Amino acid sequence: MSVRSGTRPEPAWRARLRALLRDTTLAGRPLEWYLSGWRLALILLVVMVIFPWLVGSTFVADAIAVGIYITLAVGLNIVVGYAGLLDLGYVAFFAIGSYAEATGTFGALQLNSVTGEVIHTPVLPFWPLLVIGALVAGIFGIVLGAPTLRLRGDYLAIVTLGFGEIVPILFNYFPFWFGNTGMSALPPADINLGGLTITFSDPLNRIPFYYVVLAVVALVILGSFSLRDSSLGRAWVAIREDETAAASSGVNLVRTKLLAFGLGATMGGLGGVLNGAYIGAISPNDFPFFVSITVLMMIVLGGIGSIWGVTLGAIILRFIDVDLLGRISQFVQANPVVNNPVSPLHFLSTVDFNQAKYLIYGIMLLLMILFRPQGIIPDVRRRRELKGIGAAVESTSAIGVLEREEAGAELAAVDTLDQTTYAGPGSDDIGRSGD
Amino acid sequence: MHTMALAAAGPAGFLNFLQAIKIGITAGAIYALVALGYTLVYGIIELINFAHGDVFMWGTQVTFVLITALGITSTIGGWQLVGVLALLVVAASVFCGVLNVTIERLAYRPLRRAPRLAPLIAAIAVSFILENIAELWRGPGQIAFPNLFPSTALININQTFVVEYRDVFIVVLALVIMFALSRFILGTKLGRAMRATAQDPEAAQLMGVNINTTIALTFLLGGALAGAGAVVFTVSTAGYVWFFTGFQFGLYAFTAAVLGGIGNVNGAVLGGFMIGIVEGLSIAYLPQGSILSTAVVFGVLVLVLVFRPTGFLGAQVPDKA
Amino acid sequence: MLELEGVNTYYGPTHALTDVSLTVNRGEIVALLGANAAGKTTTMKTIFGLVRPRSGTITFDGKRIDGHPTSDIVASGLALVPEARRIFSRMSVMENLQMGAYIRQPGPELDADLERVFTLFPRLKERTAQVGGTLSGGEQQMLAMGRALMTKPRLLCMDEPSMGLSPILVQTVFDIIQEIRAQGVTVFLVEQNAFMALNIADRGYVLQQGKIVLTDTGKNLLTNDLVRRAYLGG
Ligand SMILES: Nc1ncnc2c1ncn2[C@@H]1O[C@H](COP(=O)(O)OP(=O)(O)OP(=O)(O)O)[C@@H](O)[C@H]1O
Ligand SMILES: [Mg+2]
Repeated sequence: MSVRSGTRPEPAWRARLRALLRDTTLAGRPLEWYLSGWRLALILLVVMVIFPWLVGSTFVADAIAVGIYITLAVGLNIVVGYAGLLDLGYVAFFAIGSYAEATGTFGALQLNSVTGEVIHTPVLPFWPLLVIGALVAGIFGIVLGAPTLRLRGDYLAIVTLGFGEIVPILFNYFPFWFGNTGMSALPPADINLGGLTITFSDPLNRIPFYYVVLAVVALVILGSFSLRDSSLGRAWVAIREDETAAASSGVNLVRTKLLAFGLGATMGGLGGVLNGAYIGAISPNDFPFFVSITVLMMIVLGGIGSIWGVTLGAIILRFIDVDLLGRISQFVQANPVVNNPVSPLHFLSTVDFNQAKYLIYGIMLLLMILFRPQGIIPDVRRRRELKGIGAAVESTSAIGVLEREEAGAELAAVDTLDQTTYAGPGSDDIGRSGD
Repeated sequence: MHTMALAAAGPAGFLNFLQAIKIGITAGAIYALVALGYTLVYGIIELINFAHGDVFMWGTQVTFVLITALGITSTIGGWQLVGVLALLVVAASVFCGVLNVTIERLAYRPLRRAPRLAPLIAAIAVSFILENIAELWRGPGQIAFPNLFPSTALININQTFVVEYRDVFIVVLALVIMFALSRFILGTKLGRAMRATAQDPEAAQLMGVNINTTIALTFLLGGALAGAGAVVFTVSTAGYVWFFTGFQFGLYAFTAAVLGGIGNVNGAVLGGFMIGIVEGLSIAYLPQGSILSTAVVFGVLVLVLVFRPTGFLGAQVPDKA
Repeated sequence: MLELEGVNTYYGPTHALTDVSLTVNRGEIVALLGANAAGKTTTMKTIFGLVRPRSGTITFDGKRIDGHPTSDIVASGLALVPEARRIFSRMSVMENLQMGAYIRQPGPELDADLERVFTLFPRLKERTAQVGGTLSGGEQQMLAMGRALMTKPRLLCMDEPSMGLSPILVQTVFDIIQEIRAQGVTVFLVEQNAFMALNIADRGYVLQQGKIVLTDTGKNLLTNDLVRRAYLGG
């Protein structure tokens, strides 16, 4: 038997970094003081505000895409990370937000009763839609959540997946939304401030829209932090850890879970509205299952429950997507070992690594779950919760503790197979036959 | 009694209905084969093996490769057809069975002690990996595939209700396999060990059952059934192979398993036929049925899970000792 | 025959067994007593590899069994009648007994053992086709014992076989335990019913909060002050 120590030894590089941050001082305070809590947030915000003036316009566009995904990741994190409910159909709320924006700014399909011509009338400008789209998505979140939340974790996951599939099909089905062709989605109208005109529709200058996205992202992150530290946040932790115990200590399960679903969906809707305005045209095909999984992937990669973690996860994945894979392709194709027609690796010259994106995502997701389920930046609070209690092994709370804590590590492999208490039925035996 | 209604709908209407049912039954037979894989695995380790549909998809790829290697490009008949089909079923079953066991060993077994959603996420990751390897290899499009069966109809009424050889083949093969599976589970020592493990893994171990072997065997069986289903699907219904087949097909089959009562072998078969028929009728009778049938099936999935998660034949009361 | 030495078992941070050492010799009936949560079931689970000890050794007939998979331990000649019976509730009585014979080859010897089980528990013979879950508590206990005997163990471990049974049935169970021993099977018995257990046991151990605090012959333990106060209500 191996001897287990409470904490693993810290890797040397991390110890050195920690020492550096502690010992270097700036204006009389150690660096680590600046890099914690609201001060870190403030520094990041300042950096992000000046960011567009430091880089080229493609980077600004990329940053907008990253920002939209951060909104989604932070929103899904409320559902998955805080409340411990696995939602595999999060794309539905993204789609609803996008379609709300498009329907408002562009208008749904109508026919001119005299000429039979196709027309469409804008209903609302972008700004109120930002709120309305989010609200509509939030309402759908609650409508979906209400009947499904009493399901056990894995069933809930599949039901949400089904919902995520149905929503784009319905947008496709109703001619109202121009079916499979999709529809235009317009950016915010120009704003006139005396002599100064701010325009959001110039594809070569995305900076104004960048600031809109930045504001939303900042708001969402801030909101997510305050939710985490609110009494609602503590209720989520409680149901994640032990639903029955939470209920018996007065937590209203239905309300608490619904709020997680609704708030998560609201953020998904917000991301959708931004997405519509940003890409300018949407169709049902933009909202496949892949999107839900990509967002889930961001969370698992960054650290379930950890706001900075999922933010980082979103940045990394989008970076891989929009930048890294292209660079890898170029690098490989330009490499003499591949370039040379007689080289055995020559076949790689035709491979476009962008196409391997989802394969790479899948491999990353699997490796993370197997080897580092707590993610790159683990949620501190979750780690603390786990210390000292043996809950990890028997926790039924869905994803609550994805991390395999050392707790109970000595249990023989199968010991826990039957320890997962059933929240519901479905345990019929595989051999039931003939009754 | 029914003649009035039939007369009202007209003979053509009734034949259309029969044809929709027939399409539903043949599709349902394949759903049933795949649903069995979900139900066996869920019965024993309570995991929704999300990658199962993609194991099925790899069965279709293997079928395609073999057919191409055999140089078959069009309809064949007689004993040659029987021989080719037998070869395909064996090869694809072995391939998918081994693939499924490998997945369990590498991705699920290390997570057996983890909270229950961790293996589910692992399964989703595996599904992604299987799908995208196929896409990289085969490209994103559907690759057309010859129909091997002679198109002579066994029954043909007004060109509306048509039963062909392949329809008979699908249903007969599926029924034979399901019967064999049922005999195996109910009548053999290994089958008994599987059931015992599903009911109480710890007690099963105390009888000397090696749980890891039993679970691996379950994945082997489930994979083999998916392989057989994949052959049937490819040679007789689909007419193409496609990397993305497994996603929707897998969800349909999973719906079937849930509808019948997940963990219940008979339920998976019943659910398979029911989903097939629901799909067949939706396509035939709903406006834009081929778009909407997907939403209908997913709607059934959602409704069943919400209102009757035990399915039709599932246990009413979970009786875990 | 069975020897535990310095066994420590943990559930996460909970230290469930502390330096447990005990011996069961061939042909004996040995009782393990202890209050609720003392660690009796944990001792059994540790022996059978259902929980792995962090340190210590467990030997059976001179061979180390700790760290081995449960199925191998069972195959080496140990059987457990688990706490709360754990029969396969959706299988028939016959199938439950067949599961007991899982590690064995069919043949005349197996048939003879089945007959022996039916002689010990005539009730089971009348109900071979009944589904396990519908048996009464007492019948389930008989089935669990019969099932364990079908593995043809040299050492039979039992975790509270009298739990939830009426006094008459408890007497029957203890009679049968003695009969099983008479047929050459060594018995290691966990019991709450200290009086009955010590009456039939050659030796006994007392477990308190995961530690063995006392060991002696059955007779001596019956008159031991600590035991009388703690378990015999006197
Ligand atoms: N799977 C588990 N996870 C965590 N703690 C456990 C687990 N199983 C048992 N324990 C704890 O270990 C201790 C010993 O339990 P055990 O079941 O061995 O007691 P016991 O002596 O058999 O009691 P009883 O007479 O009530 O059956 C108890 O405090 C119990 O709560
Ligand atoms: Mg006990």
